[in-house]
Amino acid sequence: MTGATLLRRVPRIAMPGITAIGVKELRGRMRGKRAFVSVTVYVVLVAGFAWMVGQILESNARNQFGFNPVFNPSVQSASIGRGIFTALMFLQTLMILVLAPASTAGTISSEREKQTLDLLAVTPISSVAIVVGKLLSALTWVFVLILASIPVTALVFVYGGVAPDDVVRGYAMLFVTAIAFGALGTFFSSLVRRSGAATGLTFVAVLIATVGLSFIWVFMYQTSTSVFARRPPEALFYLNPFVAQADVACGVEGTSGAWCGVIDTVTGTFVDFGVPVTEPVFRDGFGEKGLIDVPETGVVVAPDGGAVIGGVVVEDVVVGDIFAPDAVSGARDRYWPRSALTLMLLAVGFTAAAVQLVTPTRRWRPRLPGIPRRRRPGRSAE
Amino acid sequence: MTAIVRADGLVKRYDRTLAVAGVDLDVAEGEIFGLVGPNGAGKTTTLRILATLLEPTAGDAEVAGFSVRRNPNEVRRVLGFMPDVFGVYDDMRVWEYLDFFGRCYGLTAASRKRIIGDLLELVDLGDKRTAYVQGLSRGMQQRLCLAHALVHDPAVLLLDEPASGLDPRARVELRELLRELRVLGKTIVISSHILPELEELCTSVAIVDRGRVLASGRIADIEQRLRVGAVLRVRVLAEGEALEAARDWFAGQPDVAAAVILPDGTVELGFRGDEAGAAALLRAAVAADIPIATFSRAASDLEELFLQVTGQDDPVPGEEAAA
Repeated sequence: MTGATLLRRVPRIAMPGITAIGVKELRGRMRGKRAFVSVTVYVVLVAGFAWMVGQILESNARNQFGFNPVFNPSVQSASIGRGIFTALMFLQTLMILVLAPASTAGTISSEREKQTLDLLAVTPISSVAIVVGKLLSALTWVFVLILASIPVTALVFVYGGVAPDDVVRGYAMLFVTAIAFGALGTFFSSLVRRSGAATGLTFVAVLIATVGLSFIWVFMYQTSTSVFARRPPEALFYLNPFVAQADVACGVEGTSGAWCGVIDTVTGTFVDFGVPVTEPVFRDGFGEKGLIDVPETGVVVAPDGGAVIGGVVVEDVVVGDIFAPDAVSGARDRYWPRSALTLMLLAVGFTAAAVQLVTPTRRWRPRLPGIPRRRRPGRSAE
Repeated sequence: MTAIVRADGLVKRYDRTLAVAGVDLDVAEGEIFGLVGPNGAGKTTTLRILATLLEPTAGDAEVAGFSVRRNPNEVRRVLGFMPDVFGVYDDMRVWEYLDFFGRCYGLTAASRKRIIGDLLELVDLGDKRTAYVQGLSRGMQQRLCLAHALVHDPAVLLLDEPASGLDPRARVELRELLRELRVLGKTIVISSHILPELEELCTSVAIVDRGRVLASGRIADIEQRLRVGAVLRVRVLAEGEALEAARDWFAGQPDVAAAVILPDGTVELGFRGDEAGAAALLRAAVAADIPIATFSRAASDLEELFLQVTGQDDPVPGEEAAA
């Protein structure tokens, strides 16, 4: 079967099953007051948080500058709006990092625990439909929460400083976060028999993906003593949706601000990098943005084609800040699309692995040390 | 009659255990076929291979002409499976449960509605339509599970220990239900470790132990072939010496291997004869003026039967390893 026919056939085979699983799961999840209460609690939490952040930012603005209408209040208002928006995105990222894996980590393992998976497996429904149907219906609940928060986020338009496309970027990243970490939970749910263990493992994995890998980057960055040393790969941050949200926040800042500084450091837009040159160019200051016009000869060119903007000449070496042509500090979408793509690829990988693990007659079985395979006390060989 | 379920040298090996060691089966269309054997004999494994839930290590099986190895999806469409241990979903009503499985088989909304009504009628759960599944009694859940295995009108039903955990009344109801299904033309393969349970129901059985089929065919034939006596329980309206005299009389009869008085006063007989022989024995006892209140064949547990046949008193080695 070629890839194209596979692409056409898989959805047609899997769709009825996905619908069946989806209807069943959503009937259970959305029954009664549960869904209503959880959405309400979520929105109230988000709104309360946004209000408090707004209060903090307003009082900071008053304390720093004095409440003086003459002192360009629109600029201050915009800065408060940006602060609330960024805080909301970070808060929701945190909540999704907890809620998405928590709602998927029990989906498959609970079927095993309740011994209902066999009943499903003998129907013509495919493993793809079981896994994808369960993942989608679990995510539907998280999606409902995310969507319900949009009106709260839209309140930042009152302050200004945030454009609708910024909100779209932030929410796109939130959805990607939910899908990726939901798929992670589904994977562990199909790998481990007990829901408790699946949930535990999932959150360990979430911690490693976010805090762990990021800390490795920080460690490598901080312990590299030489300015000539290679920067740690930014890919270590791809699984950390907070960094992606920092890039979204940088886009809101427009010009270089604190969040842009974070992304500059992560992507190496500012590279402490030595480049040997024959005719060193010297520019002072950091004021200029964008590519500078430099002569064809003696251009300080970074290995990736960037140019030096400002720096000092140390003998034949310029220690300065190198900008890649398409990655200028303060530029939009320098980083988060790469992170989003990585997370989506990971989601596909984990989902495929979960499908493989759910298939009853799969030939490939992972063997964890110390855990005998497919043994249940008293009934395996009956 | 053609074979609708066939197994050809099925082997299933777990890490160190050989759960199924070359099982051959031949089930004709319309039969109620019993798979009998002690715990750990390989019954569940065999059924799970037939249900495409396990891949055989070697050998193959066919259901309605489809190979479980090569065409598992076609097999799934023609068979209904009820596992020995099964759970129910929380938060689901009875009709939703059946509706869900109807969707899994790709039935249209209209046909689902009709079939759910029919099935609930068939398994006598018509008034439980909107009840929650987890609130049903064990027997009702068992019947619901049977109904779920029937939503797609399969030609073959595989039932793994369907009567386990049921009270006697629910057992009788289940038996009636299975007879009804047989009338509807279903072929039923049913496993049990209790021979009498199947005796009244099955048209033929296969006796399995340690992963092998020891015998298969009609039950009476197998019993005869295995030369295993039945245990007869006779309640004699007598006490003391009169009772002992009755026992001695029984012990003296042909085909009676042993006669003992149980603590409750019942006389238990090891009997080698067939049913006609039992009738003759009863006639003779009545003629001999022994006051008999009840005269019945005791339920012969298969494990006991096997121990008799193989002369082993220690547990079957495969069982422990398999458990």
